[in-house]
Amino acid sequence: MRRDATHADARLARWLVAPALLVVTGVALVPAAATAWEALHRHDLRLPWLGTPFVGLANFAEALGDPRFAAALARTMLFAAVSVPIELACGLALALVMHHLVRGRAIARVGALLPWAIPTVVAALAWRFFFETSDPGGVGWLTRPVAAWVPIVAADVWKTTPFVAVLLLAGLQTIDPALYDAARVDGASPARQLVTITLPLLAPALVVAAAFRTLDALRLFDLPYVMTAGGPGTATEPLSLYAFVALMQRLRVGYGSALSICVFLLALGVAMAAVRALGRAAPGGHA
Amino acid sequence: MNGGRVVTGAAGVCAVGLLAAPLAWVAIASLMPDSLVFTRGVAATGLSLDHYRALLAERGFLLAIRNSLVVAGLTTAVALPLAATCAYAIARLPLRGRGPLLAVLLAVSMFPQISVVAPLFLVLRELGLINTYPGLVLPYVTFTTPLAVWLLTAFFRQLPRELEEAALVDGASRLRTLRDVVLPLAAPGLSSTAILTFLYAWNEFLFALSFTFDADRQTVPVAIALLRGRYQVPWGQVLAAAVLASLPVALVVAAFQRRIVAGLTAGAVKG
Amino acid sequence: MHTGRLLLACLAVVAACGDASGPRLTFSGSDVGAEGAVIRAQLDRFAARHPGVRVELRLTPDAADQRHQLYVQWLNARAEEPDVLQLDIIWTAEFAAAGWLRPLGAPDDIEDFLPAALEADRWQGSLYAVPWFVDAGLLYWRRDLLGAPPSTLDELREDAERAMRTGAVSAGLVWQGARYEGLVTVFLEHLVAFGGAILDARGRVRVDEPPAVRALTFMRDSVTGQGLVPRAALAWQEEQTRFAFQNGDALFMRNWPYAWALVQDARQSRVAGQVGVAVFPGADGGRPAAALGGAQLAVNRYTEEPDLAEALVTFLTAPEQMLERAQAAAQLPARRSLYATDALAAALPLPIDEIRAVLEAAVPRPVTPVYSELSELLQVRLHRALTGQEAPDEALRGAADAIRDLLARTGLAASDPPAPEPAE
Repeated sequence: MRRDATHADARLARWLVAPALLVVTGVALVPAAATAWEALHRHDLRLPWLGTPFVGLANFAEALGDPRFAAALARTMLFAAVSVPIELACGLALALVMHHLVRGRAIARVGALLPWAIPTVVAALAWRFFFETSDPGGVGWLTRPVAAWVPIVAADVWKTTPFVAVLLLAGLQTIDPALYDAARVDGASPARQLVTITLPLLAPALVVAAAFRTLDALRLFDLPYVMTAGGPGTATEPLSLYAFVALMQRLRVGYGSALSICVFLLALGVAMAAVRALGRAAPGGHA
Repeated sequence: MNGGRVVTGAAGVCAVGLLAAPLAWVAIASLMPDSLVFTRGVAATGLSLDHYRALLAERGFLLAIRNSLVVAGLTTAVALPLAATCAYAIARLPLRGRGPLLAVLLAVSMFPQISVVAPLFLVLRELGLINTYPGLVLPYVTFTTPLAVWLLTAFFRQLPRELEEAALVDGASRLRTLRDVVLPLAAPGLSSTAILTFLYAWNEFLFALSFTFDADRQTVPVAIALLRGRYQVPWGQVLAAAVLASLPVALVVAAFQRRIVAGLTAGAVKG
Repeated sequence: MHTGRLLLACLAVVAACGDASGPRLTFSGSDVGAEGAVIRAQLDRFAARHPGVRVELRLTPDAADQRHQLYVQWLNARAEEPDVLQLDIIWTAEFAAAGWLRPLGAPDDIEDFLPAALEADRWQGSLYAVPWFVDAGLLYWRRDLLGAPPSTLDELREDAERAMRTGAVSAGLVWQGARYEGLVTVFLEHLVAFGGAILDARGRVRVDEPPAVRALTFMRDSVTGQGLVPRAALAWQEEQTRFAFQNGDALFMRNWPYAWALVQDARQSRVAGQVGVAVFPGADGGRPAAALGGAQLAVNRYTEEPDLAEALVTFLTAPEQMLERAQAAAQLPARRSLYATDALAAALPLPIDEIRAVLEAAVPRPVTPVYSELSELLQVRLHRALTGQEAPDEALRGAADAIRDLLARTGLAASDPPAPEPAE
């Protein structure tokens, strides 16, 4: 009887999964396939007389030998490595605060989510304005290669902390309060409760938050595009922005598609790591 | 005990203050004449609603808000059930290839948008969906479902199995269990996912710019982009537009946030 | 204005109801502010002259990048609409080479159009667009602090230093230094001031030669050395420069004509009524220069109404319509004859004599299908030099090499053997 139930369950599972899978792959398959096709061909819209010959992996080879690509790649990974932990920490702090607030909880929640609600362009403009006009420290932030990252990271953290907080808050609210009561009776400090109860039980949500923030960070585009256009020089040009330059300014669809696939592969690596981590982190879950 | 409350309260005020400061700047600046914002900085004098008037009367901004509401609403309404059923299957049911499934779903949303736009434009054009609501909802659902599935999977996994198992033992079918037991328990997760999906669709720019060309269908981010001239930017109007764009979202969030609280069963409800 | 909008809305509704009778023309442009009112009125007038023809305005963002992207997307998909496109002056060669524009029959009064603008609209012997309105870089100066505008760059520097010393202004000169196309136009003016060029008449790359290095060094020294130009300007586009000038912070501003009405507006500008314009001065070995910008009108190659579309282009670029645009939106017409009329002098808020002088000094940017990439390669290097990441000669050498490589790779390099180098 258990085998029948499992059988029925497995069939149901496939039916339940099918719609989402069909919609997502159906719609996204075409651009993915098109990008893959373009990446294997030379296709420069400005020079139609050259046609679109098949060039195999030549575009990828060009990318590997392109110092601007290597620099953009390194920058992108560094940005992810720096901004994601900051966002997780701030998001967790915000989630904890929102969770424990007794008075003004509703206002706090609405207020805390508004940065996520503001269009990215406006957020970028507001932060750029702040750094340009008030120029804390007289540094001239947006005009210096390393310092220009600070406004970008600040804007990114500001905008996405609510996202992380919302993810974690939902998780926080399903943790049985009895566990905390027991710990308090045992004399555990709040910090100890955080480490031994909260974080482990929050692990799945943390993994999801980390995975998605990392994926978004690897595909960073809007903020540098609006705030610095990738400048000074190319100091704040992430990989997606370089792909944009190749596609939309140079009209080199082949090369730009190859760059896009590189971004995709990078993100895929992260996604696979996240899948494994999610499998391990969930209580009783299997990857 | 009381010390903890004070600390939390203070932290709350700080956090909300930090998050709200740029927003407050945006809001106040949207009430000031353009040049004053850049000359004297933001100040609470000489405020007026001129920019808002211009936006609503001359620029037909309400139309853009309507379009955004429709598109974001439809996207959420479609993506959420899709994702919830899928996530439940992954989290609770025997399913082979869970990992690859999650990875494929994710893979889809991992291409940089700019490389996806042109092929998608061709596809939507073939389907006759350019400059229509479905023409935006379809891509939006496609690119928000993966995150929704991941979120809800993590969330469902966290839920205690006892209630579900009790219902199953009582003879309820899986689907009935999903509907009557799991979903109510999962209200916090569902609400969060709904909010995030809605916000993605609300703020998305590139697809909206590329797949619509009529004021009748253009959403708020596109309307904001159309405010500026070749060199001149009507800063006040842009900021006022940002405020107007945030209001419906604030209302949606306010409505949903009560659901987050109310979704708890068994055990003390906190606040 | 409202009737026009209502009319167009009705037209749109009717159009949406499926193909009604009569041909339909779509014009792609913007309707921001006064420009919007004027274009709608003119499109209505055209429709009135062609009974049975519906003319619609399809809004595209004025931000150059976004409009460019939309055009690329539509044209690459062979969309039949929009039929008539508003192009930036630097896009015509690119779109023509890509095969997206219909060659146009030369108008009878082709001589009347500004030659530099017309050159940008030719590709391989055919005309692909008609100049609509022009933009030229201006040097704005403070009449209350100076008796006359500087006639050389050295004078400009001295005037600026003097004014900064007296504390009348905190910056001598402000220009657009962010890493975007505007930077290239500013650099171009400095470049020609020192007698240099990006590409010469034969299409050879000259941007790493001594005049160019002098020009870039002058720009860099303005920022870091003498502090004439605030470092913050290296992140500024047109609007931030305008605000700096209209707040009274700068003695000179390099900007486009659009800023005139705004800096002269007493309600928002602290320097209203104290502003003059002049050509950006030359230096040793060069001449005064104004970078040429503006918009052109072209016809979509895949249009279903080629004759009507061309008729619309001819109509919109007719003197009457250009004058109307000048009156409503203060845009500089692309026709030379209009600059001799009193009507234009009365219509334009800018002083007409200075404008004539500026247009005579107008310098176009290189006309090539790969201009976007060329410009981007140049921008990156220029900006690196200005922010102190590279030395000017190194930066320009890098840019020149990259541009030569680009031209060679795409088969667009100059084919003539190099002329013997003149002694420096």
